[in-house]
Amino acid sequence: MSAVVLDPHEVHIGTREAVEQARALARRSIVGTIRQPQVWLPGLLFPMFIAAVNTSTMGRSTSIPGFPEVDSLLDFLLPASITQSVLFGGLSAGSDTATDIQTGFFDRLLASPVSRTSILVGRLTGASVMGAFQAIVFMAVYGAFGVRLAGGVAAGLLLVVYAMVLALVIGGFAAMLALRTGSAEAVQNVFPLTFIALFISSAFFPTELMSGIYRSIATRNPVTWMVDGARHQVIVGLDWSEGARSLGVAAVLATLSILGANAALRARLRQAS
Amino acid sequence: MTRPIEAAGLVRHFGDIVAVDGVDLVVDEGEIFGFLGPNGAGKSTTVRMLTTLLTPTAGSARVAGYDVVAQAGSVRRSIGVALQDAAIDPVMTGRELLRLQAVLHGIPRAEADARGGVLLERVGLSGAADRRVGTYSGGMRRRLDLALALVHEPTVLFLDEPTTGLDPMSRLALWEEVRRLNNEGTTVFLTTQYLEEADELAGRVAIIDGGRIVREGPPKDLKAAVGAPTLVVTVPGDQHAKATEVLSGFGGARPGRAGALAIGLHGGSTAMSGVLRALEDAGVEVEHVELDAPSLDDVFADATGRRLEGAEGPGSPDGQDPA
Repeated sequence: MSAVVLDPHEVHIGTREAVEQARALARRSIVGTIRQPQVWLPGLLFPMFIAAVNTSTMGRSTSIPGFPEVDSLLDFLLPASITQSVLFGGLSAGSDTATDIQTGFFDRLLASPVSRTSILVGRLTGASVMGAFQAIVFMAVYGAFGVRLAGGVAAGLLLVVYAMVLALVIGGFAAMLALRTGSAEAVQNVFPLTFIALFISSAFFPTELMSGIYRSIATRNPVTWMVDGARHQVIVGLDWSEGARSLGVAAVLATLSILGANAALRARLRQAS
Repeated sequence: MTRPIEAAGLVRHFGDIVAVDGVDLVVDEGEIFGFLGPNGAGKSTTVRMLTTLLTPTAGSARVAGYDVVAQAGSVRRSIGVALQDAAIDPVMTGRELLRLQAVLHGIPRAEADARGGVLLERVGLSGAADRRVGTYSGGMRRRLDLALALVHEPTVLFLDEPTTGLDPMSRLALWEEVRRLNNEGTTVFLTTQYLEEADELAGRVAIIDGGRIVREGPPKDLKAAVGAPTLVVTVPGDQHAKATEVLSGFGGARPGRAGALAIGLHGGSTAMSGVLRALEDAGVEVEHVELDAPSLDDVFADATGRRLEGAEGPGSPDGQDPA
């Protein structure tokens, strides 16, 4: 078919309007998630359950020579739990997008004069805010069990920002899959991969005490780079270079996944051409 | 004069499948235009092109005076769209969805709230406005869908099979609302597979089959053009051949329901007694007989050789278009 020629006098969506649209869609995303506890509650309870089991069964592992100095294993596991929760929860950004496509709500959006970018930004902003919520819940609950952030309030803020950026990583990746496939099931099938990425990393055990291929993979796993930087703030103290490493890796991955999601959105829109 | 909808030679392919094959349409201001056809005939694909959700493979269309491809944004600001299946987020409330839709159309919040309240009242959902949509009945969802399509006061309203799956009462209520909107000046493009719906609501209809428009005009004129009423006779299976021979002397054969014979009865109802006598004289046992005034189904049958009720299109992927 012939190339589409756009009218130069066509009304365009202004930045302010696009921001308003993204804000409204982010609100929808957050409200929609909060109103479905079955979506976010397992993502909070499951990491807590794993942390509780690990602490009770392997609590003495902290005394192994080479294990970082911590008051309890729970201190060590806090960043892992946040990472695990956000990785699981962020997938809902993708499955919700796929559900919108499957039910026709996505068409409703496309038939309105909404900025196409706002659709994606709204969804990812929602995921990011939920990531902040998850980080705060974990710090509060683990705090009640005696975990203290060595880096103080600033470390807490850093963990919140880390969770928000990490939510963009997984949210962008999940949205990309959703936009490519239009299938919520395809997005949910990624769940085991996040599980593997998490367990072959330093999230639950220090890489220094690993051996063989497992250690080799874990030291190259970006999850390790992110978790180690975040953990430093909890068990050692505020360290901007460690924090920057954690956030930097997350930011690079988030940029890549958002670019991927945006490309998938454009590809889906092109399907209509 | 700018017409609400104009399409010329609209074509849409999906791979090798031709879903819409050269549709020409003109809808005048203030009309309810019925777009009638069986599943897979090309109705939804046409609507998706007119509402900017699909780009035509060939041809052109202007909606509310704007080109659907080059000025898609302006088209979207001018139209209201209620697509099939009333795709509404079940965890949001009706009021929240109206507010969201208003923001997407750039309406300030205070105005959006006021307009939302009026629309909820209008479609009879004020009492359920703060309930989650997941608790709504099918009829309530359709009414909310209509309210969502109206939030920005569109000049052209597209309703894609708005009453599919609704109970008779909900269907009548929706028809009433569509009439009211039209009386207030909104041009309505209504796709439906229900003959009665097109007959009741539309001032003009286009019948589409196999991606092409096969008839177009006011329902009354289309039915009058078919001419004679349809005589439907049911006889035992082993007497079909004999009955067909007798009936052929009274009018041309028309497509009929399975197991029944149908003719366009020359001479109308006054000729019916003669048919029955002739069948009796030929020894044909008549199990059931009825004389139907020409309907849009007869118009469809006259144009395609098939009955619309229960018909499927020739395989175009309506409703399964890519986004």
